[in-house]
Amino acid sequence: MRTRVAALLVIAVLAASSLASSAGARRQADPLTIYAAASLTEVFSSFDRAQRYSFAGSNALETQIRNGAPADIFASAAPLNTQRLFQSRMVERPVTFTANRLVLIVPRSNPAGIRSVYDLRRKPVKLVIAGAAVPVGAYTRTVLRKLGLSSVLSKVVSQESDVKAVSGKVAFGQADAGFVYATDARPVREQVSVIRIPAWAQPRIRYEIAVVSRSSRKAAARAWIKRILSPGGQRALRNAGFLPIPKATR
Amino acid sequence: MPVGDLWSALGSRAALDAIRVTAETIALAMAMILLFGTPAAYWIASRRGAMRDVVVTLVELPLVLPPAVAGIGLLVAFGRAGLLGGTVDALGIDIAFTKVAVVLAVTFVASPFYLRTAVAAFESVDATLPAAARTLGAGPGRVFFRVMLPLARGGLGAGAALAFARGLGEFGATIMFAGSLQGVTQTLSLAIYEQFDLDFNVALAISALLIVVSAVVLLSVKLMTRWHSASGSLILSAPSSRQPS
Repeated sequence: MRTRVAALLVIAVLAASSLASSAGARRQADPLTIYAAASLTEVFSSFDRAQRYSFAGSNALETQIRNGAPADIFASAAPLNTQRLFQSRMVERPVTFTANRLVLIVPRSNPAGIRSVYDLRRKPVKLVIAGAAVPVGAYTRTVLRKLGLSSVLSKVVSQESDVKAVSGKVAFGQADAGFVYATDARPVREQVSVIRIPAWAQPRIRYEIAVVSRSSRKAAARAWIKRILSPGGQRALRNAGFLPIPKATR
Repeated sequence: MPVGDLWSALGSRAALDAIRVTAETIALAMAMILLFGTPAAYWIASRRGAMRDVVVTLVELPLVLPPAVAGIGLLVAFGRAGLLGGTVDALGIDIAFTKVAVVLAVTFVASPFYLRTAVAAFESVDATLPAAARTLGAGPGRVFFRVMLPLARGGLGAGAALAFARGLGEFGATIMFAGSLQGVTQTLSLAIYEQFDLDFNVALAISALLIVVSAVVLLSVKLMTRWHSASGSLILSAPSSRQPS
């Protein structure tokens, strides 16, 4: 009699715990939909494979969210896009979570013989940059202005919609040079050479992240953002080449 | 959105540049497709066997390729670091990021549409007619220009219209191979993509223009398939070698 009761108890406990864990597993297994700037492709994907991502130029993502795209989180490479959505109450208050810097990349074969940013003015070059509405495109124009190289914009042969299209064209050798984030040079380091840009010429690059107001998973979204802001998340970003959150915004 | 606003949005610099780039590139692409595609279709239509099957497969390949893959294919073939890149450079020709690149991309994706219909058009011509022309002493050139072309012109016209429509809407291969620069390589489709979050009215106006053009193209296809009884039901049915005489 006692063994039968014990057996029933054990079965009951096992059943209850497996139900609870499967319910928990269902909650955890449901991925969040994260719309993130293209430059975050590698770091976000490897930081958390379980979520669902859409990577594109931050301006395109802003337009999509504004038109009702089903995102839970929006991570932008420039405050402009998150702040505009915040002003329309489409996202919760954005938070700065990382920074970056620009570099000039050229194909390994260096067909135009570019060794410094100033060579861009001196030599014929097929330069590829992002469009002005894309964060990296706006940052590029700021860098060129600070360097006194705005005339180099006449050598642009294509304006891309995100930074990966720029790095792709340079990596393949189709373009002579392109401006990308330092973090985008890494995945293509075998195919490109990196030319650094002095710190004084760098624009103030700040990445912001926010919970989308329409999201039905706000608690989970806030928790994910907390993970990105935690030492673990920040370490993952630093390891990928991103810069620490600028002091003024902490 | 009021039609007046759409019309003035079409007058914006971005829209006008896109219209000009598209008009120039599609005209050149169609010229190449018709010039090289018509004899090629005639050759395919007059053959049977394994060689024809291989050629047909090659020709129809761009049809099933996703445009982005077509873009990569063009880069691999004609890109500066591609298979023919060195040859192209040696000839002093510059393709990268030029209108030539747009023309190549559009030609590549649109040509199968013309070729398939053209082959079917030539095959549906009653074989006794060119044969009769030859027994009457006409050489192959005369047979082609005076007998085959006129008889197949309905189908050829419909094929050209389809290729035109496909070329007009080309996006993926163009943006990968030719890039996007206003006034140089930015076609109407690429302009919609850029204007979408810059000035939505311009994007809307360009889309409206493309809808109107597509409707006109569709109408002309319908009209052309009725143009000549020999090519009456080309588009929808399999090629037949016999016509009621």
